[in-house]
Amino acid sequence: MGAPGRDVLGVELVQAGAPRERRLPRHAGRHVLIVPALAVLVVFFVLPYLNLTLISLMTPSHRAPYVRVLTLGNYTTLLRDPFTWQVIWHTLWIGVVTTAVCLVISYPLAYHLARAPRRLRGLFMILVISPLLVGVLIRTYGWMILLQDTGLINQTLRALHLPAAPLMYNNTGVLIGLVHVFVPFMVLSIAGTIQTIDPELEFAARSLGAGAWRTFRRVVLPLSLPGVLAGTVLVFVLTISSYVIPSLLGGFTVLTVPLLVVRTVTELFNWPGGSAFAILFFVITLVVVGLYVRAMGRGAGQLPDQGDDR
Amino acid sequence: MAQIVLDHLTKRFGETPAVIDLSLELASGELVALLGPSGCGKTTTLRMVAGFETPTAGRVLLADRDLTDAPPERRNCGMVFQNYALFPHLTVEQNVAFGLEMRAVERAEIRRRVADILGKVGLAGLGGRYPRQLSGGQQQRTALARALVVNPSVLLLDEPLANLDAKLREEMRFYIRSLQREFHITTLYVTHDQAEALVLADRVAILMGGVLQQYGRPEDVYHRPRSAAVAGFIGLTNLIPGRVRTRAAGRVVVDTVLGLVTAAGDPALREGAEVLLSVRPEQLDLVRPGAAPQDGANVLRGTVRERTFLGSLADFRVDVDGGVVLRVQGRPSAMERAGDAVAVAFDAEAAWALPGATS
Repeated sequence: MGAPGRDVLGVELVQAGAPRERRLPRHAGRHVLIVPALAVLVVFFVLPYLNLTLISLMTPSHRAPYVRVLTLGNYTTLLRDPFTWQVIWHTLWIGVVTTAVCLVISYPLAYHLARAPRRLRGLFMILVISPLLVGVLIRTYGWMILLQDTGLINQTLRALHLPAAPLMYNNTGVLIGLVHVFVPFMVLSIAGTIQTIDPELEFAARSLGAGAWRTFRRVVLPLSLPGVLAGTVLVFVLTISSYVIPSLLGGFTVLTVPLLVVRTVTELFNWPGGSAFAILFFVITLVVVGLYVRAMGRGAGQLPDQGDDR
Repeated sequence: MAQIVLDHLTKRFGETPAVIDLSLELASGELVALLGPSGCGKTTTLRMVAGFETPTAGRVLLADRDLTDAPPERRNCGMVFQNYALFPHLTVEQNVAFGLEMRAVERAEIRRRVADILGKVGLAGLGGRYPRQLSGGQQQRTALARALVVNPSVLLLDEPLANLDAKLREEMRFYIRSLQREFHITTLYVTHDQAEALVLADRVAILMGGVLQQYGRPEDVYHRPRSAAVAGFIGLTNLIPGRVRTRAAGRVVVDTVLGLVTAAGDPALREGAEVLLSVRPEQLDLVRPGAAPQDGANVLRGTVRERTFLGSLADFRVDVDGGVVLRVQGRPSAMERAGDAVAVAFDAEAAWALPGATS
């Protein structure tokens, strides 16, 4: 290295020594601002769950919602019943498939949304969230009109002398309905992250010899993983807890945990049993999502916003 | 052999022309600064060379190959971006190794070359850091290392010093220059900073409104601007309108409101042509009003209107008889004060006659 290089280096090392800490000074008062959110969470989430847990430990009865005698019997019955596990598996399966299909549909959409010219972005955004502008019941009845055996699609098939396709009262119908409504959540999560990726990074990768695919694989995808993580968790959790769509489009053939819980409570009048099922599924969901987030976190270990300066 | 050839390049965005019929040749190992005000098309030109923009018309030749329609990954250009565009999820080493991995270079070889170039740019020992853990200057050098490590056929720099503070920017100019010499790599350097262009470049191409105004050595562009626009863009200058009275032996005598002025001028200027005289402030001298002029020097009488201290220079505004205000820059020790009667002297060589607006 020549003398001028060393000159510059000397200056550099001095500069490098100063860490860049950009944080507001700690202020006791600002914590007050989270109180409303915390209050809502406690009143509408924590307390009901505690109540539910309590009920799940009570003894079922036919004369009252439950008898105040503590028991673990609801859980043992539940855990021993193979039907429980069958429904749980099926619910998780629907969750995974819906999430995967949403991801495949949403990623390219999100990319183009994020990279669209500013004046078009608003329009695209409205198009993407349009499924959410219609209430869940109306939207689902809309799908029924299209999908049922005498619906538009099957009538068209029949008119063309093609075999009819069973699209409703089965998994296909449920998946169609779920994917339709949850795509916006996935798109918005991913697009938000992609918007933060400097488009110059893609040019940089290209000029370094990476084709379009490798630029995506090595640069865009890793940098968008936080959005993928947020979107997939969001859609998965919303899917496995959805009620209206599986009940209307699935009929009696598709049974998911929320449907079974509601039936246990309202039809079998077994409050403690339903509560135990809800709590069990809550715990399983927590474990599944936790494992997933950890695995993804390892894959996206070096994210720009994570990790402090060494 | 020309390493970069831009052949009648034109780029329009919709109806708006960004670059108009631009032809430019860079010899092997040459550093050319593409200089112009913002929006003049210089970055668009660079992006056409890199392959990020497709020209509306014209050709781009790199190392004698027509790459006008080749995608960026097939052009072997080393590019340094204004904001460096380092991959935030990769370490310095991984950033630098990226281009080598894309070229399927062997692992051991990659390790060797990355360590080698990091040493050359003074980043040895920082390879494990992430870009956000580096200072601006270190990020800049990571970007240079990443562009150079793949042995590109040309180096493209887009305002590489714009995001550095003034002191570092000044040093990096010399650093980039020495690095470019060391690698002997043909370099196209986009900047809006004329001082940067003059310091760094073998040749300077001045682009305004998408049109190439002048292409030449820094000295020529500075002292022999081809138009008032170029003269005004590069450094400070005094422009005095006039008309060519006589011409002989590379000299023109120009009839101005200040009287007759002898100047150097384009041989193509004809007698009677409208011209602008461009005289750089630092080439004007303040002398005592009574002093006898040197042979061939022009002397104009006037009064100091204003004196400003610039550190290494003193800047004067002098009201010259004839109603023109001249900027004069000289030693800060100069004694003249506002209100003093002075004479302004300059050699014929110091004044340059360029075609006026109506010629």
